[in-house]
Amino acid sequence: MIYLQLLANGIVLGGLYAAIAAGFSLVWGVLNVINILHGSFIVLGSYIAFFLYAYAGLHPFLAIVPAGIVLFALGWALQTVFINRVVTAPVLITLTLTFGLDLVLNNAMLVAFTADYRKVNLATPLPALELGSVFIPGDKLAAMVLAVALTYGLYRLLGDSNVGRAIVAVRMDREAASLMGVEVKQINAITFGIGALMAGAAGALLSIIYPISPINSTLFLGKAFVVCVLGGLGSVPGALVGGLALGLLESLGGYALGPEHSVTLSFSLLLLLLFVRPSGLLGRRGYE
Amino acid sequence: MNEALKLDVRNLQAGYGDVQVLWDVSLDVAAGEIVAIIGSNGAGKSTIMRTLSGLLPVKGGTFSIDGRPMADASAADLVRAGIAHVPEGRRLFSAMSVRDNLLMGAYLREDKAEIAADLESVYQMFPILADRRGQDAGTMSGGEQQMCAIGRGLMSRPSLLLIDELSLGLAPRIVDQLSDRLREINAKGVAILLVEQDVIAGLELANRGFIVDRGRVTLSGPAKDLQGNAAVREAYMGLGAA
Repeated sequence: MIYLQLLANGIVLGGLYAAIAAGFSLVWGVLNVINILHGSFIVLGSYIAFFLYAYAGLHPFLAIVPAGIVLFALGWALQTVFINRVVTAPVLITLTLTFGLDLVLNNAMLVAFTADYRKVNLATPLPALELGSVFIPGDKLAAMVLAVALTYGLYRLLGDSNVGRAIVAVRMDREAASLMGVEVKQINAITFGIGALMAGAAGALLSIIYPISPINSTLFLGKAFVVCVLGGLGSVPGALVGGLALGLLESLGGYALGPEHSVTLSFSLLLLLLFVRPSGLLGRRGYE
Repeated sequence: MNEALKLDVRNLQAGYGDVQVLWDVSLDVAAGEIVAIIGSNGAGKSTIMRTLSGLLPVKGGTFSIDGRPMADASAADLVRAGIAHVPEGRRLFSAMSVRDNLLMGAYLREDKAEIAADLESVYQMFPILADRRGQDAGTMSGGEQQMCAIGRGLMSRPSLLLIDELSLGLAPRIVDQLSDRLREINAKGVAILLVEQDVIAGLELANRGFIVDRGRVTLSGPAKDLQGNAAVREAYMGLGAA
């Protein structure tokens, strides 16, 4: 059955999309910042994984850790130095700021790494999983499992930890949060750092699947956008549901209409959903 | 600065941006006391509270807690110094559970075991909150939300509780219940500074009162005296002279 194969492809893709979007959704939901840098953060994570594999032999799955740490530090610093100055300004101001910062980061990557596509070719790929007629490459499956695990980790962090509760509190009511003793600007920086960490970790996972180039940043940003709006803004389960929805849509729709139409299809659905259910599939006012 | 005072406010000036609301406000709360700030809409009562909890900057004058000057302190420093602010309109984290709201009150504390014990004592004080611990705070009734907001304030182990509009929008029966709880809290040594539009209820609960009008303290004294004051009765209680 070709449809079972398409379903499996869609789910694998969807898990990865969830990790791409979760950090973007967090930053948008909590800080009300549409982070145009998110795509470049993902690409930077991929490059970190690529170079660590090429020069140190570190497996990209393990490169999640260094990529996450570097990106957290970068995100934290950008929020502290630049974005915190205008974080309460209307969303257009912060969007313009992250757009400008993205130009700087993306062009810096073009200068440093060139626009040539690179790819991680694993010396010892995992064996593929075959279930009847369904065939899933082992590394892709493992990347998806790790992506979902990261997303779940973010969900637990927000729900069960002191810093997670503070992030959620800032999203709901900044002023009331500061009455609890929350240093809102610090939490902003940590939130933006976690968003960047998720992007970097997702980038490390994607390095074994997608070709790596700074040019791809807008592709990833577009995916994050669609997933976020599909699933509902600012919710981790929403990112998961939105990611799976987009993955399945691209997989099945790409088969039915031809792969060249899969992006058209996903954005058409997005427009439709905005008419019917503007808060997204799982959207609600708070953060989960 | 008088070190015996829990809170000592001297010639405080504050406001929003260029708009000055408070002009030379002086008031004080002794340790273990309940003090009410009385005044009409727009008199500056909430502005006093918001300045004392660090949400608004001090533009002139100063205030101290336990004799320590706090005019430049951040909101977090003021929580550490023992102030807990139960804001007007409750301002709970509405899509967060009751339990998580209460834990947010203990945000700056590290003593996990003590936090768990305090959580239990809040549940004992307000049993309805224990029943609803897993429920989103925003789905509760106004009275239950006010209980949750007071409980959240207590979770920081304050020595001074600021309560802005305890009774607003609540049924008299609920207000009585809450007043009883506040007396209990006060009996455990927590001083309370209360802003109240319901002047009768406010002066009933308080030891002393300050009347605020157009950003200035116009009258102050023991609550009993203010209750009998002809001008207060006429202006704020809608009653004639006693």
